[in-house]
Amino acid sequence: MSRVRRFSLAPDAEVDQFLTGLGQRTTLEAEPTEVVERTIYDTFDWRLHNDGSVIERQVRDGEAIVVWRSLRTGDTLARFAGDEGPRLATDLEPGPATERLAAILDMRALIALSTVNTRRTTMRQLDDEHKTIARVIADEVVDPGDHPLRSVIQVVPLRGYDDEARELTDLLDAQVVLTPDAEDLMVAALRRDGFAPGDYTSKLRMRLDPDQGGADVYLVVLRALFAAMLANEPGTRDDLDSEFLHDFRVAVRRTRSVLGEANHVLPADVLDTFRSGFKWLGQATGPTRDLDVFLLDTADFAKELPGERRPDLAAFSSFLATRQAEAHAALVADLDRDRYAALVDGWARFLDDPPTPTAEEPDGSRPAPQVAAHRIAKAHRRLIKLGRRIDDGSEPERLHDLRKDAKRLRYLLECFGSLFPSDEIAPIVKDLKGVQDVLGTYQDCQVQAGQLEQFAQDMLDHRNVPASAVMVIGLLVEQLDRRGASARAGFHDRFEAFDRTAVRHAVHRLDPDHPHHAGGAGDGDGDGDGDGDGDGDGDPSATDDPHPRSPLEPDHPEEPTP
Amino acid sequence: MKVLAAYNIKGGVGKTATAVNLAHLAAAGGARVLVWDLDPQGAASFYFRVKPKVKGGSRGLVTGKRDLDAAIKGTDHDNLDLVPADFSYRNMDLELDATKKPTRRLAQLIRPLERNYDYVFLDCPPSISLVSESVFEAADALVVPIIPTPLSVRTFDQLETFLDETDWRRAPRVVGFFSMVDGRKKLHADLIAEVGRSHPEIVTPTIPAAIDVERMGTHRAPVTAFAPKSRAAKAYRELWSAISDRIA
Repeated sequence: MSRVRRFSLAPDAEVDQFLTGLGQRTTLEAEPTEVVERTIYDTFDWRLHNDGSVIERQVRDGEAIVVWRSLRTGDTLARFAGDEGPRLATDLEPGPATERLAAILDMRALIALSTVNTRRTTMRQLDDEHKTIARVIADEVVDPGDHPLRSVIQVVPLRGYDDEARELTDLLDAQVVLTPDAEDLMVAALRRDGFAPGDYTSKLRMRLDPDQGGADVYLVVLRALFAAMLANEPGTRDDLDSEFLHDFRVAVRRTRSVLGEANHVLPADVLDTFRSGFKWLGQATGPTRDLDVFLLDTADFAKELPGERRPDLAAFSSFLATRQAEAHAALVADLDRDRYAALVDGWARFLDDPPTPTAEEPDGSRPAPQVAAHRIAKAHRRLIKLGRRIDDGSEPERLHDLRKDAKRLRYLLECFGSLFPSDEIAPIVKDLKGVQDVLGTYQDCQVQAGQLEQFAQDMLDHRNVPASAVMVIGLLVEQLDRRGASARAGFHDRFEAFDRTAVRHAVHRLDPDHPHHAGGAGDGDGDGDGDGDGDGDGDPSATDDPHPRSPLEPDHPEEPTP
Repeated sequence: MKVLAAYNIKGGVGKTATAVNLAHLAAAGGARVLVWDLDPQGAASFYFRVKPKVKGGSRGLVTGKRDLDAAIKGTDHDNLDLVPADFSYRNMDLELDATKKPTRRLAQLIRPLERNYDYVFLDCPPSISLVSESVFEAADALVVPIIPTPLSVRTFDQLETFLDETDWRRAPRVVGFFSMVDGRKKLHADLIAEVGRSHPEIVTPTIPAAIDVERMGTHRAPVTAFAPKSRAAKAYRELWSAISDRIA
C-alpha cells in the first residue's frame, strides 16, 4: 500500500505562492480552501499513535465531524458525527469502523490533546477520465502564536496509482522550499504542546544497571512505580476511564511488593511507614476497581445473553454504575485527605534523598543482581514447596495462599528482570504465568461470585429493581462457578509445567554465586519477558486486599503486560 | 467479510447501479468496501472513472499468475476500492473451464482479501454461465434486482430453482428487491404486493425508476454521492439498511 509523503514548507515561503508554482508544473485541480479547527485526540497510553492513526475533530463553518485517518497512507478510515468530542468507542455510532476502532481503544477514553486552526487547500491530480489519482494537501496554521508550526504539504496517493504519485513526489522533492519527511501537522502540534506521543505505557520499561548496589536498584524501580502512580492520579480522580485507576493500583501493588522484599536493603523505619501507607492506599482504591471490573464484565456478558434477558442485565449495570459512582466519590475523598498528601510527600522526599545504606541494610550495598537473584530463588523455592502440597482435596485457602506466593515471584521477576539476560527470565515467567492464570481465575471467580450474591441481596433489599434483574445475576454466578471449577481442574498440569528442571536451572543461573550462573548482564528491556499477563492483582503480602481481577475478561488482565 | 453479488440472469435491470450505490453507502457507513466489476462492459468502472484495464487480464487472474490485490484501484470515495473490468473478462468462462474446480475460483481469488475488507460487491454480467456459478460459490448473498413485470419475476423464480436444484458447497442466500419501479403504474404496485406476499426473500424497499439514477452516467459517481438527498438515494439507503440487516 502506498504511503503518504509529507514535506514541510520553509518558514519564509507562502503556501499560496508555492501551490501556484506547483500548478504551473503539473495539472492539478484545486478544491475551495477551507479553514478548519482541528483537535487531535488519543488515549492516555497513545493507542492510536501506536496504531499509526489519528482521530481529530474537525470544525468547519460551525459544523463538526470526527475523522479517523491513517498516518501511514493518509487515507480517511472513518468519519463519525462530531457534535460532541469523541470519548469511548462505545459512544460512537455502531458499525464496522467503530468495531475496528473499539478493538484498538478497548476501554480507554479518547482525550482532547491539541487544537490547531488550519487553512487547508486540497489539489487533486486527475487522469484523462477526470479520476483523482493523487491529492496534494497543504495545511497552513492560522494564528501560529509563539511556537509556530511549519506548513505541511502532503502527497496522498491513491491505491493502484503509485507511479503517478511518485512523479508528483519527485517533483516536490526537487523544491528547495520543501524539506522531506516532515511530521503530520497534528503530531507536530502535539510536540509543540509538550506531549511526547508514545511516552506512556503501563508496561514497566526500566533499564537497570547490574553494576549498581541493591539499594540503588530498588530505588530506581520504586521511582518508576511512583512516577506511574502520579501519572495516573489525575485520570483516576476524574474517572476518565477505568484504566487510570487500574494502572494506579498496579503501581501501588508493585510498590508494596518491592517494599515487601526490601528488608536489609532499605531502612526498617522507612519500610514500616510506607508499607502501612501503601497498604491503606491499596485498600482505598479496591472497591472502585471491583465495580469497574464488574461493569466491564457485564458489557461482555451481555453479548452471551439471549436478547430478551438483556434488559435485565441493563438494570444490573445501572445498579453497578450507581455503586461505582459512590465508590469513586469515596476514593476521591480519600485522595483529598491529608493522609494521602502526607504519604505522597513523604515518599517523594525519601525517593529524592534516600539515606546511604548502613550496616543495618547489608543488601543495600551488595551487587543488585546478587540481591535480586537470591530473593527470586527464595520465592521460587517457597512456591515449589507449597505447590507440591496441593492436591484435589486442598482447601481453597491453600490455593489462594499459593497465588500470593506466585505473585511475589512474578513481581520480583518483573521489577528486577532487566538485571539478567532476558532469555533466562522469559522461560521462568512463561511457565509461572500459566500457574498464575489458573490460580487467579480460580480465586477471582470465587470472590466475584460471593460479591455478586451480595449485590443481588442489596438490590432486593434497598433498590427498587425487578426480580428478573436479580435472576440474571444468578446466571453470572453460574458462569463464574463453571470457570472457577475449570481453572482448578487445570492447576496440576500448569504447576507441573512450572515445576521442572529447566525452570529450576533458569532460576539458578540468575545467581552470580551459583555454579549454573549464566554470566553477563541483561538486555535491559526492563520487563524480562514480554508475555501477556493475567496474573491478577494484589501484593503477595496483601492478604487483606481481596480485590480480584476479572476472570470474565481473560484478554484484559488486571496487571499490564510487563 | 461478506461477499455480495449484484446478479440477475437478465440485463438492464439495475445491477450495476445496485452494486455501485450499495457499495458507496456501505463505505460511507464506515465499512471497508471493494467492488469487483466482473462485467466486461465495465459500467461500474465507468461510474467510478476507473479505466477498464487489468494487467494480465482475465487469464492472469484466473490462472493465478496475478493477485486480485494487485489489480485494486482506489476510487474517489473513502474506504471504497475497485477491481476494474477488463474486456478480456468476456473470455472468463473459457479460462475458468480450463481450471480445476472452476466454480471455486472466484472465491479463492477473493479469500486473501478477507482481512482488508468488510464487504466485497461483485457486479456480475447477466446470464447463467461458469462465471455466474463461480459467483454463486463465492457470494454470501445474491442481491437480485427485479423489474416489476411477470417475466422478470419468472426469471427470478428460475434463478431460485436453479440454485435449489444444484448441489453447491455453500449456496448463497438470495435477497431480491424491486427495481425501476414506476410509482404511477398500478400494475407495478399490484405485482409488488402480490409477489412480496409469496416471496419473503424479497425485501420491502424498492428502487424507483428515477432520472437521478440515469444521471449517474453523466456524473460518473454513485447517486448517493452526487445527489444524497434525492429520492433515489433515499431509496438506496433504505434498501441497504434492509439488506445489511438480512445478511447480518
